[in-house]
Amino acid sequence: MKPEARSMQKIQGLAGAELSLKARLGYVGLLLVSAALTTVVVALWLTELSLPVRAQLAFGAMSVIGTCWMALAVWALGARRPLFARDRVVAGRMAVTFSAVFAAGCVAATIVSGGAASYGALATSVAMLTTAIATLASARRRFAELVARRQELEAQLRA
Amino acid sequence: MSTQKLNDPRADELLAIRCQLGERAAFAELIGRWHEPLWRYLRRLANSDQAADDLVQDTWVRVLRGIAGLRDAARIRPWLFGIARRIAMDRLRMHYARPAADEGALEELASPEIDAELEADLAVLESRLATLPVRERETLALFYLRELSLEQIATLLDIPAGTVKSRLFRARQLLRHEFETKGAI
Repeated sequence: MKPEARSMQKIQGLAGAELSLKARLGYVGLLLVSAALTTVVVALWLTELSLPVRAQLAFGAMSVIGTCWMALAVWALGARRPLFARDRVVAGRMAVTFSAVFAAGCVAATIVSGGAASYGALATSVAMLTTAIATLASARRRFAELVARRQELEAQLRA
Repeated sequence: MSTQKLNDPRADELLAIRCQLGERAAFAELIGRWHEPLWRYLRRLANSDQAADDLVQDTWVRVLRGIAGLRDAARIRPWLFGIARRIAMDRLRMHYARPAADEGALEELASPEIDAELEADLAVLESRLATLPVRERETLALFYLRELSLEQIATLLDIPAGTVKSRLFRARQLLRHEFETKGAI
């Protein structure tokens, strides 16, 4: 076998791991979960002023950990596992669903408790939902542009 | 797909768009289409099979991670060769640890657009070469693609220089006939 052909087999194997959809959507899931949990923890930390110092420190530490997980997910999606157009649409739908459920939970918590923490979390969840809807709209637009260009090129090449 | 369609820049753009959409099968096609030209290009720069293997692997990792962000899919060829060239230049810089004054010379070694066109043309040329008889094909490839002299080829093949000349003459005639019947690059 020629060396370039042997090398190509290796690359095809490497591509399988690099293009894993599970890994990409896993990072999207990590980003959503860590954002929601961090929001709740930060809201509690900033609004429950009567908590003992140890509890305040614990909330602070949990907020930092949550933020680190979010940063890791953002970095991985930007540099290591970027989303393709179709993946972005799936990720956008995941984000909208997750943010809507989270926002609904925050609405319920606000109605039941009416505390300052629930208002803070509700505001953040609405911001998350708005961002998710905008991201999904942008992903759909980009997907449609690429599909249109693809069809145009296929027609030209068939002619 | 025919060689002419493969060499059509629109076919490359289509493949790039399918990759950007996230079609896994398109990546296998992209690798199948461009791996060998990239490997040969890097082999020429690095002068060793092992180094070419390493460089081409780094190139593909960067391509797979970067193609989603490629703005103009029509520029896939120079983009691919640009990445390969940057990786090879970085490796050469590290290897030789040259002073900054020499960097200009390294930059001038190759231009991605010219390299992409050249590799595409070489791919077509090599496909046409494959139709020639073994002895003529080997002589022509050594003379034009590997740039060996008549004497070097004669030594390598253990034949007189006059035989090398006659094989080259016959190979050129056959290749000309091949291009006349199937069309130029």
